[in-house]
Amino acid sequence: MQRIKIPQRRFKDDDLIDFAIVGVGSAGGVLLQRLARAGFTAVGFEAGPFWDTERDWVSDEAGSHKLYWNDLRITGGEHPLALGANNSGKGVGGGSVHWAAFVPRFHPSDFEVYTRDGVGADWPITYKEIEPYYDLLEQEIPVAGPAWYPWGKPHGHPYAPHPMGGVGDTLIAGCTKLGIPVSAGGPVAILSASHGDRPHCIYRGFCIQGCKVGAKASTLVTHVPDALKNGAEIRDCCMVARVSMAKDGRTDGIVYFDAEGKEHFQRARVVIVCGYALETPRLLLNSACPGQERGLANSSGTLGKYLMAQAGNVILGRFENLIRMYKAPPAHALTEEFYETDPKRDFARGFAVQTVGPLPIAFAKQMMAAKGAWGWGMRREMMDYNHWSSLGLLGEILPWEDNRIELADGRDGRHDARDRFGLPVAQVTFSLKDNDKKMIEFGKNKVMEIMWAAGAVEVVQESRYAHLVGACRMSKTPDAGVCDKFGRTWDVPNLFVMDGSVMPTQGSANPGLTIQALAARTADYLISQKEAILSNSANGRRDMSEPPCRRSLAPPGTFTRGIPHLR
Amino acid sequence: MDERQPLTNPATGEALAKREQPGYYPGFSTLKQKRYWDAATRKVVEDRVSKQKSIRFFTAEEARTMLAVVDRVLPQEDRMEERRIRILPGIDERLYENRLEGYRFEDMPPDQEVYRIAARAFEEMARALHDRAFHELSVREQEEILKSVQQAKPQAAQELWKQMNIERFWTMLVADVVSIYYAHPWAWDEIGYGGPAYPRGYMRLEEGEPEPWEVEEQRYEWGAPSDSISDVEELHAGARDHLVHPGQAGTH
Repeated sequence: MQRIKIPQRRFKDDDLIDFAIVGVGSAGGVLLQRLARAGFTAVGFEAGPFWDTERDWVSDEAGSHKLYWNDLRITGGEHPLALGANNSGKGVGGGSVHWAAFVPRFHPSDFEVYTRDGVGADWPITYKEIEPYYDLLEQEIPVAGPAWYPWGKPHGHPYAPHPMGGVGDTLIAGCTKLGIPVSAGGPVAILSASHGDRPHCIYRGFCIQGCKVGAKASTLVTHVPDALKNGAEIRDCCMVARVSMAKDGRTDGIVYFDAEGKEHFQRARVVIVCGYALETPRLLLNSACPGQERGLANSSGTLGKYLMAQAGNVILGRFENLIRMYKAPPAHALTEEFYETDPKRDFARGFAVQTVGPLPIAFAKQMMAAKGAWGWGMRREMMDYNHWSSLGLLGEILPWEDNRIELADGRDGRHDARDRFGLPVAQVTFSLKDNDKKMIEFGKNKVMEIMWAAGAVEVVQESRYAHLVGACRMSKTPDAGVCDKFGRTWDVPNLFVMDGSVMPTQGSANPGLTIQALAARTADYLISQKEAILSNSANGRRDMSEPPCRRSLAPPGTFTRGIPHLR
Repeated sequence: MDERQPLTNPATGEALAKREQPGYYPGFSTLKQKRYWDAATRKVVEDRVSKQKSIRFFTAEEARTMLAVVDRVLPQEDRMEERRIRILPGIDERLYENRLEGYRFEDMPPDQEVYRIAARAFEEMARALHDRAFHELSVREQEEILKSVQQAKPQAAQELWKQMNIERFWTMLVADVVSIYYAHPWAWDEIGYGGPAYPRGYMRLEEGEPEPWEVEEQRYEWGAPSDSISDVEELHAGARDHLVHPGQAGTH
């Protein structure tokens, strides 16, 4: 219900702006806000619209189709992923408009799974580098959750945990019976009390359809207003088609199509691509040019590879009593008791168990998949909608080289599919490997066990996947990834990537908080480095020292909240 | 074909009368709550209920086939005629506008092509198996054809079905049908779903308790028509719980 003034044009195409940010989603929104507040000139380019949430969003499942990247993509492999509404946002706020808003942190172990377990890859950073940004983002979003979150590195949250809905009660009942600790009421990026001009949650259950209240955080309400106040510009309905390269090996700006389909070139000193795990690598691949024929910033050959989705099986349980799972945010309770590698199990890493809350159409599709429902069977199952509860597995699928995104350019056996600008679309290939299958089998059975323990009279499941990260991974050395630990591409010194695509591994945590934390840290790095990056004053030498965490650049009134520090 | 078997009382075998509103929430009406909805939502839902859409993608023959197919995928014989939810026009509109769900499986043709092939295939199966048009078949005959498609073992028209992944087609068809039926306020009333909830949210979050304006559940026993094989007991072989489907919404 926020009234955000639609941004006006400020810069001309041939103005030399400091930062061109491609994609104003979770990462792009944070970067735009930080850089504008720090005094730089910055323009965000967003393929989707700048939402007027009162006018454009509806409290209706079927009517929310337009929040997603619905344009064609090809999906294949042994275990093809659902894209579109499953994980891809479009519009200012991006994925943070439709996310369920669980915001757990990664665990310290997530940054070194190769060293610990011999799988995946180590990150070029540790938990220590990102921790101050977790602290800061949890305050500025802000995050509601328990005063003592016991998993990973234990910590509290600035806003109180939420009340339970029917599904949370299911999770608590089942976990209690089995002796599994559970976190009730968060951590979620949903207000449990009012904050500035944002009201608290009214428990309407339409998080996935966009929060008209403004209680659920999206960068549209948390960061974009402050970015605009500080002189940032957002060009919505503008599709960036190519990152342009100058003769000196630096990028000189971006080519984009405006809402009328007219082509433009915007000059910029630095380009940051924040298009999420599909559009970011797709843009770099489509920006191939002489000298970078395999795609921009791809000397390592890893661009588009090591794509990851998490296992997201939904386990549904029918109960004798009523649940009415359409009320309350779908995200309101979880357990990370099974997150870490357990040597007694036959696989590395683990999974989380989370509440989910499908609305009728989503639930009907789940009955189709999980029970083969159709005809009178579908009518009958749906009449029992209020008797069902649902829990989601969130499992760490490992990064595999051949899980990838490529261009559907018709070459090398790939499909030929173009968007309305004539650009090849993304073609995604995904297959589970042995460790993934074992983790999913164990995790699925554990969640079913929890559902039975909660008292369900029938339990079924649907295989699916959640989120999408990787494909432009950060690395310690240029041969192993696309960018360094700040998201700066190894090959192009003023080209950054900063979104979920930089992750080398994904843990069993929803990626949103980590994406925003990494974005704030990269902003601090850019601010510290300034001319060394903006104008190459360092002559190509890369300073890798960690920047200070600039708490004062968070949106005003956010970073002084008290956080319980229980021991 | 017009005289369908009725639903029955399983205890007595007596026919159950058609209802204005089937389901276990008698008297519940989400539309009666519309003054508590925001204007943008109210407009979208009211249009959905009142606007008549015409058939523009399917030919007349295809529409006749697909109407019968959709009637089996989501039967509404327990509803009075004037309280049935029209489904085919919504599918037709999606195909006419080529509105996608954001992805196409690599082993599927584009959606528009898929439905044209499928309409032909259903007709060919009806002719091959029963020497009649699909819409002329009995409920049982139609359902058996659908079931064979769901289970990827079509009894005829195999050459047509080979042009796609038939299991994925089934999930697309059912997904499209339920996306329209359960988007309608009459279906919300049927299942006791609260409908739009802004700016008024929910207060009674636990124990499945109704809001003051919702109604308590009042179950009744009903049996599917005697000529149907699509009720719950028959379902298990059709589960495809390993298959990601079109239009799958995010959850986590």
